[in-house]
This record gives sequence, structure tokens and C-alpha cells, in this order.
Amino acid sequence: MLKVTEIQRFCMHDGPGIRTTVFLKGCPLKCKWCHNPETKKTQSELLFYSNRCIFCKSCELSCAYMVHTVNEEHLLERSRCVICNDCANNCPTGAIEICGKEMSIEDILSVVKKDLAFYGDNGGITLSGGEPFMQGDAVIDLLKICKELGISTAVETCGYCDIGILKSAIPFVDLFLWDIKDTDIKRHKYYTGVSNKRILENLSYVSKSGAKIQLRCILINGINTEKEHYEKIADIAGTISNLDCVKLIPYHAYGGTKSILLGENDNGKMEWIPDTSQVELAKQIINSKGIKTL
Amino acid sequence: MEFYTQNGNKRPIRLSEKTRKFAYDSLNRKYGLDTLKTNAVELDYIKDCKFFSDLELHDIAIQEIAAKAPIRICDGEKISGAATLGMAIQHKIPATYQGKSLWSSNSHLTADFETVLKKGINYIRSNAEAAYEKYLGTEKEQFSKSCLHCLDAFSLWHSRYIEKLSELPDYRENYQALKRVPFEPATNFYEAVQSLWFTFAFIRLCGNWPGIGRIDYLLGDYLKRDLENGTLSIDMAREILAHFFIKGCEWVNGQFIGSGDAQHYQNILLAGIDENGDEITNEVTYLVLDILEELGISDFPTTVRVNQNTNEKLLRRVAEVMRYGGGILAVYNEDLIIQALIKDGYEEREARKFANDGCWEVQIPGKTFFIYSPFDSLQILQRKTLRGYEETVLFSDFEDLYTHFKTDLFTYVEEIFKSREKKFVRPVDPAKNFKWATQPPCTVVSLFEQGCVEKGLSYLEGGPVYNINSPHIGGFADVVNSLYVIKKLVYDEGKLTLQEFLKILKDNWEGNEVLRQYVLNHYEYYGNDNDEVDAIAARLLSDFADICVSFNGKCGYKFPAGVSTFGRQLEWADKRLASPHGRKVGDVLAANCSPTPNTDKEGATAIINSYCKADLSKLATGAALDIKLLPSSVEGEDGLQGLISLIRGFVALGGFFMQPDVVDASILKEAQKHPENYQTLSVRVSGWNARFVTLNKEWQNMVIEQNEH
Repeated sequence: MLKVTEIQRFCMHDGPGIRTTVFLKGCPLKCKWCHNPETKKTQSELLFYSNRCIFCKSCELSCAYMVHTVNEEHLLERSRCVICNDCANNCPTGAIEICGKEMSIEDILSVVKKDLAFYGDNGGITLSGGEPFMQGDAVIDLLKICKELGISTAVETCGYCDIGILKSAIPFVDLFLWDIKDTDIKRHKYYTGVSNKRILENLSYVSKSGAKIQLRCILINGINTEKEHYEKIADIAGTISNLDCVKLIPYHAYGGTKSILLGENDNGKMEWIPDTSQVELAKQIINSKGIKTL
Repeated sequence: MEFYTQNGNKRPIRLSEKTRKFAYDSLNRKYGLDTLKTNAVELDYIKDCKFFSDLELHDIAIQEIAAKAPIRICDGEKISGAATLGMAIQHKIPATYQGKSLWSSNSHLTADFETVLKKGINYIRSNAEAAYEKYLGTEKEQFSKSCLHCLDAFSLWHSRYIEKLSELPDYRENYQALKRVPFEPATNFYEAVQSLWFTFAFIRLCGNWPGIGRIDYLLGDYLKRDLENGTLSIDMAREILAHFFIKGCEWVNGQFIGSGDAQHYQNILLAGIDENGDEITNEVTYLVLDILEELGISDFPTTVRVNQNTNEKLLRRVAEVMRYGGGILAVYNEDLIIQALIKDGYEEREARKFANDGCWEVQIPGKTFFIYSPFDSLQILQRKTLRGYEETVLFSDFEDLYTHFKTDLFTYVEEIFKSREKKFVRPVDPAKNFKWATQPPCTVVSLFEQGCVEKGLSYLEGGPVYNINSPHIGGFADVVNSLYVIKKLVYDEGKLTLQEFLKILKDNWEGNEVLRQYVLNHYEYYGNDNDEVDAIAARLLSDFADICVSFNGKCGYKFPAGVSTFGRQLEWADKRLASPHGRKVGDVLAANCSPTPNTDKEGATAIINSYCKADLSKLATGAALDIKLLPSSVEGEDGLQGLISLIRGFVALGGFFMQPDVVDASILKEAQKHPENYQTLSVRVSGWNARFVTLNKEWQNMVIEQNEH
């Protein structure tokens, strides 16, 4: 079984071609700028879309744990929630959703297979999250079956994972989408909660195996938008034996709207959004070292 | 001089500055406004028009149009001939008597330009002369004479252009290109383009709106020869062809506020196989794509015939042009369409020639009379089967309800059949025989539809080789979703009785927001790849096609099924009752084969899957699917590859016609606020297109709503 937050079809930017992206729940990093905060925790969580609530009390009436109190306001006592799904099932407007669903490999495949006609030679499945490799052997099994079915596979990883899992994944991954959040060790530790040492070691190991790798580099204004960082990205990219390209991902603040759904503070910061000239500069510097960017 | 894009990327520049200026002026209404200056020719000098038969009067009108229509040579044009009478833009023959227009004109046909290019008008003339000899003294004599009169008129109009051009030293090339054609066969690319345009312009001058058809098939050999001989460069060829497209904007005038002004059915098809099964894609195919990409002209809705073997190079160019938005390019899956036509009774070699009628309904060009009869099946379900929610209706189960609906559908289609039959056909002996009924004059288009001249019967009187009357079902997704919700809510889940549900709908959901939200959010509707609802969709289309086919062979025309709303769903919205899938009165309705707006949550691949679960080969005149894509989703190389994969999947799954449109509702809203900056922005719902700024506010709002993701 795998813990899935969402399966998104018709993704055009998670690897080549048309892809079905499976978002898996749980991540070892705690990036302050996280774009998908609902995938951080391993446990299922309750998402509440307050703008959809029509104060009908269906949730309050159906909940045995008194999580919902609906009067003029819809109040939530999340600590009491046992993720039984009753409120979500009874909510007419879809204002309540349980994020994080146990799915079998067959369940996932039945969705992934729906778009077989569109994958062609290069499209397929992308595992994202969260950190897919946190879910252990089930992930490997899923990738293996996809390969057997002729579906191309990509995995977006933060790289902070068990080397054993990575080793067994390599034969079944057509493209690693490898995140380089930052190249400065101290900043990496401060903003993501972990050091990047293990990430780079793992990257080096996977690279040596000859696996195809795309580096995905988030650009966050005021944090890593500096020349040294771009140069180091290019240096790292230069060491990769089978580099697809470097993809620059300008930070966006949409993750913030999702943290609100989780009952957390908005983690989105407008001042973190880089302007196009910063992205252009990064491109220029990286390209100047002979590295292709996307 | 910027030509509009939805994705913000600048269009490439390949054409000369002069040609680009010509395009810019045309799109900004310079010649369209000029066309409005002279509305029509007047026949008031005829003292007593009753002295003439309708057809004779018509012939006089055509002669008069040819003799009096203003000659227009645009600054720097390479191709000459112009439809310069304003009334033609209103779909009428531009001739008046005592201030009144006399005849409507014809559209939804693609003229036989192949004969014009390869054999010349003189060939048609010799056929017409032979027919006249043959029918002398018969009731067909007058029509045959009318053919000759109209050909005389065409010659007269041509001679006026030749004379004018001969006086203008700067237009020597135009003079040379037009001197022999379209009366003689074209001998090179320039002449071929001129021949095609001049004939098209004459048909339009006389008020008709023909489609162009397979332009690369028509022109490809001429270009190939010229390039091989070294008599023409590819850049020069692009310039010449660009002028054809620019001249096609001569009716852009921004005056037709309401349902838009960019729709004159001048459709073009590209690529695909020829009658022998060989791919025709050639240099002209790519030149057309270059021109559309650079100038963004939406006045020639262009559809690319794609099959399982279409090469990557072509698809890539198609995807690149699509990405600028405006819905200029659509695709046909010719693998399925040829099958559909064979099923409908065409020979395979004939089926492979298909073009369309000016929207996207498939037809064999230059041989087909086409008329379609659109209707709204949601209205039938609401008003007939469910009695307008006013009376008690009893159905034992969902099957019973569906069967009643199917019967009501049959009755409606039968009514369409009978009313058209009454108009076009007169029974001679009640057993089987019939005779085509007399129709208003339409000789000009008849000249360019094979069969008419030879048979001595006009376009509207059974002249063409094929005669089609196609019922078009509208309201497709809304009916499917309505039926699905009734099935689930009333019959499967038993949440309430049908009577209770209909009462709620009658009250337009008033006081039942909780239930409305439930149906909006707890079911997956058509377009989400849900097998249960898609099965209803497939069944409805199949049953509808069977109903239509059951009328085939009962009179002189074929009766193939199609699906369409074009822009009609925008007008229907206010007139429909609330629907079971949460729709209130006035809410937007689904277009063509597309999902109900805002119910498709799984993206484009799911929509295509849902659509392709129906056997679309039963719908011989077509079933159009609109796919809206956000500019950001098709950005970059990833996006381009994705778009190509989308088209490939559509073909593999057995789609019919797909109109991907890259559109951002926020840009449309900007255009609504600042129309001056968006003069050339086009919007498209398959078969219907318009320059956005020429729509009135209500239409603009509806288009925005349909494009909100």
C-alpha cells in the first residue's frame, strides 16, 4: 500500500510528454517554502476549504468526535480528528477532504493506465510528493510494474533517502527529477531542516550508475538567488554522467493557500518570488558552463 | 505591428514588411469598411420585374453584379479580385429591387476548385453548353441557360479586372497571373493561387460563402514544379500565398455586433491522404502553417487531417501554431472519418477526398449539397419526456425513462425529416418516386458542384452528386449528465422520488442548495473518464445515429447524424429549465461534444477518453470536441511534446474532430475592458469563431465563462 495525496492526470511539466503524477505523502525535509505542504506529514490530514462551506452542519451531525462546530463560523478541533472520513463523505460541497489515502498498486495503476493512449514513447508516470522513496519497497514494486507495462517512469526526489532504496530503484527509473534546493550547506540545513551532504552523496552514487537525471532547482528570491549558487548548480550538473538538463523552478506562493487548508499559517511569501531577470541570470550562468536549462 | 497571441510569445517574422502591413490593415478593417460602402446593385431600372421569371431576374442580377461591383485593387496586393458588395456579408445575393433584397445565398459547401485549377472555367463552360443543347425545349432549359449567363457574368467581371490591371504599371505581375486564369488551367503556382482566389472571390461577390477545401492538395503540385524548375523561390511562394489569406479578410468590418463577424465558412483543410491512400502533405502545407503562425489570421478556420502515420515534423508545426491560441487550427482523425463515410455508403476512394462544409461537418468537396438541422436534445428531455416538470411523470426505472426519452427523440428527428422532405422533395408516385422541388435561384454555386450542370438541376434541387440533410443533436453533455444524476439519485441511491426531484428543479433549486451542492460535487460527469456516465453518452449517440440512419433511402438525400451546437448553446442557456446536474436557469450549457463547463475536473486526457468511448464512426457528418488549454500548460518543449501526444492519443482512441484552444480567461477579460488593444483577438468554439471585440457584452461574458478553468 502507498499513501497518496492526489493523482493528477495530464501533467505536461513533470518530465517529458503527457504524464500522470502520483503525489505521495510524507517528506523527510521541512522546507520553509514548501509548495506542497499537504504532503509533508506521513499521516492523513483533514483539508478544509472554508470558501466552499455553506454552513449546512452536515459535518457536525455526522462527526462522532465533535471535530466540527458550525454556527456563524465553522470551527475545527483538529486534534480530535481520527480521519474517519464521515464528515468528508457527508459534506455536500466538497469543503472537507481527507488528504492521504492508502492505495494499492493496482488502484494506482488503474488510474495511470487510463492515459496509456497519450503517453507515446516518452510520457508516463511521475512519482512526486512528498518524498516517494520514503514509502519503501511498495514504490519499487510500482515502478517495476510500470516498466513491465511499458510505461515510462520518472521520480521526483529530494535525494534525502536511504541509499538501499535508491539502489534498488535505479533499474526501474527512466528519469530522476532530482531537487537541488540549495548548494550552501548552512542555508540548506536552516531552511530545509537537513544538511545536503547525504543528498549530494546519493546524487553522486545514482549518477555513477548512468541513470538519467534532471536537476530541479528552486529559485527563491533573497535566499538562493545568487551567482555562487548558480555556479555551484552548474558544477554539480557538470559531474552528472547522464544529465537531462537543469530545470529552474521559480518559487511561487501557491503552497500557502494549501497550508491554510491544513489549518496552518500561510507559508507563502510574495517577497520570495524571483523576478524574471533573476531567472534569466541563473539560466545564463548555467548555460555559460555548457549546461542545458529548461 | 503586432499580431495577437494568447500565450504572449512573439510570432516569428518571415514575410516582407509590405505584406505584413497589408495584413495588419486588412485585419484592422480597412477593406472591410470599404466593402460596406457599396451595398448591392439595384435592379430598379427594370420597369416590370414580373415580366421575368425568378431565375431570369436572378441572371440579370448576377450580370449586373459582374458589371457594376466596384473594382478594388489593394495597395501592394499580389492577388487580385475582391468581393466588394456589402450585402454579400449578410449572406444574401447583393441585388435589390425597390430597396429590398431579393434572394438569400448559399453556404456550407466547398466548391469544386480542383476542376477550376486543373481544367479551367472554359471546361465548365463547354459542359454547360453541351447541357444547354441537351435540355433545349425541356423544363431544364432555363437552368442550363442560367449557367451560361452566370459564366458570361464571370467573364465580364474578369475582363474588368484585366482591363484595370493592364492600366497599372505596378501591377504587371498581377496582370500576368490573372490573364489566362481561371478560364484556362493554371500552369504555375502564382496562376493557381490567383485562379483559386479569383473564383472564390466571384462566388463570394455573388453572396455565397463557400469553403476552400484542401488547399495543399490543390496547390502542391504547382509549387513543386516551380521549385524544381527554379522559377519560384519558397519565400516568394509564401508571399503570394500570404496575400490569399490576407485578401480573405476583406469582409472584416467589426459591424456585426452580436454573434461575431469572423465566420464566413471559408474553411481550409490541410494534410491527410489522397484518393489512392498516399499522404499529400507538401510544401504548401507548411507555407500555410507559416502564414497562420505569423499573421494569426482566423478568418480561414483551418483543420489538419491527422492519421496514425502522420509524421512528427508536421505535428510539431501544428502544435507550434496552435500554441499561439485563437483556435486557428483544429484536427480531424481521418482514420475514423474515412471509416465513417464508408459506413455511410461512400466508396473508399471518394471518402478519402473529404473536406468540410465551412464549419467542420465532413463532406466530399465540389460534389455535395449540404444542409443541417440543429436541435437541442436537452429541450426534448425537459419539455417532452419530463413534461416541463409540470405534470406527474411515472417511469418504472431508469430504463423506462431512457426508453421514453429515446421515443421522444425519434419523434423529433422524424419531424425534422418530414419538414425537410416537404421542402425539397415532391412525391410523384407515393410508393417511392420523387422529384426535387423548385428552389430559389442558386446558379453560381451550382456551377462549382459536380452534377448540377450535367443534370440540369441546381445545387438546391438535387443537382450535386451527393445530397445531405444532417440532423445535429445539441445539448449532448447536459442531457447525459441530467440522465446520469436521475439514475443515481432517484433510481440507484433512492435519495428521493423523481416527482420530488422534478419539483425541486421546477423551483430552480430554490431552497435546496444542499442537494444542489451534493450533485455538483459527488458525481463525476461526462468528461471525467467515468465509465458509468460515459456509457450513457455512448448509448445516446449510438441510438441517435441509428434513428437517423433509419430514414436513409426514404427520399433523395442522405440523413446522417452529427453533433453540434456551434454557438447556439449560448442562446439556449436562458431558455432551458434547471437541470438535474445542479445547473440553474441561465447557467452556461455544454458546447458540441464537450463537457458541461466546470464539470470536467480531470483534464484534457480524461475528456478525450470520455468522448472516444462512443462509436463516433456512426456520426458521419461529425462530432466536435473543444479542448481548452491554459497557455502555461503548453509552454516550453514539454508543453509542445504534450500537445503532440494529446493529438496522437486523440487519433489512437478514435476521436473525430478536436479543436484545442489555448486560451486564458483573464486575457479575454482584459480584452473586454480594452477592446482597442485586442482588435484581432479571435475566439473559437468549434465551427463558430469570432473576433472577440465584435461580440456584444452578453456573448463576451458567456465566452469568458466557457473558458474559465
